[in-house]
Amino acid sequence: MEGNIDNLVGALSLVGYGLGAIGPGIGIGIVAGNAITAMARQPEMQGTIRTTMFLGIALTEALALIGFVLFFIASA
Amino acid sequence: MILATECDVANEVICAPANVNELFEFPAIFTVGGLEFSRTHILMLLAALVAIAILYFGLRGQRLVPTKFGAAVEGMVGFVRDGIARDVIGPEGSKYVPYLMAMFFFLLVGNLFEITPLINFPVTSRMAIPLFLALVTYVVFMFVGFAKNNFRFLIDTAWPKTVPIGLRWLVGLIEVFSIFILRPITLAVRLFANMVAGHLMLTLLLTSGVIFIAAIPEIGVKGSIGVFWFALGLFMFLLEILIGVLQAYIFTLLTAIYIESSIHFEH
Repeated sequence: MEGNIDNLVGALSLVGYGLGAIGPGIGIGIVAGNAITAMARQPEMQGTIRTTMFLGIALTEALALIGFVLFFIASA
Repeated sequence: MILATECDVANEVICAPANVNELFEFPAIFTVGGLEFSRTHILMLLAALVAIAILYFGLRGQRLVPTKFGAAVEGMVGFVRDGIARDVIGPEGSKYVPYLMAMFFFLLVGNLFEITPLINFPVTSRMAIPLFLALVTYVVFMFVGFAKNNFRFLIDTAWPKTVPIGLRWLVGLIEVFSIFILRPITLAVRLFANMVAGHLMLTLLLTSGVIFIAAIPEIGVKGSIGVFWFALGLFMFLLEILIGVLQAYIFTLLTAIYIESSIHFEH
């Protein structure tokens, strides 16, 4: 275990993924929060808002998912 | 599988499996003409069969007052048809209902295999399955996009007329990258990552909970931690039901959204 550089690489890529997940986390929070506000104001538009919300979440989440893939590539 | 590995419960602080792939890779059970069949393949076929069986037995023999099972299946089918296909794609969505329905039910069964007793393995946590489904979706929405809009689909995406000229190349670049390259990858990885994380968390919490509880006679503290972990594992078990259903829904919904955006791609 000690002095093995591979462990360090794995740990570093894990930290990198953690850093990469911060932005999308905030972004998804904003998207979902605003969608809830919009649904509360106009319940009759619920279907459209939900669809748009998932599209926004999908676009935002892409960054975190790229980080997840890069974590596997970097730590392999 | 973790239980089978050598672990000195009394002395070692952490009982880690040798390799995380142990949880996801199974040895081949039998071989048919050079194709090796492992547990994953059998579960994949089983998921397809279960999905077909649910639809067949749920919708067989239309009657005035459906049975409880029939009503539940009708509810799900109606949800996919009205809530996903027609709401998102519009009136033309009826054409894509069979595809979305097959995908939703296969993913639902495959995801819920994670919490099915005696199976306890989500087939969708092997990258091949989400990737294949995402590639089929990619082919479908590319085909629809080019069939409905000819090559304006590609040209107007790369050179959007509504954007000011200075930013047009940048927006076009981002759009082309995200639509033509990123979409299938993120679609597949989203499902895969959620299922892998759920399977890992469940396995680690429940099995290490059992191992630690078995250590109560030697070390009391570890045993009490084990009780906590096992309880947390049971809570995660409930959460995984939600995640499995939600991921099947999101995968199907995004498929519908992508198809819709290639039909009316200007806005």
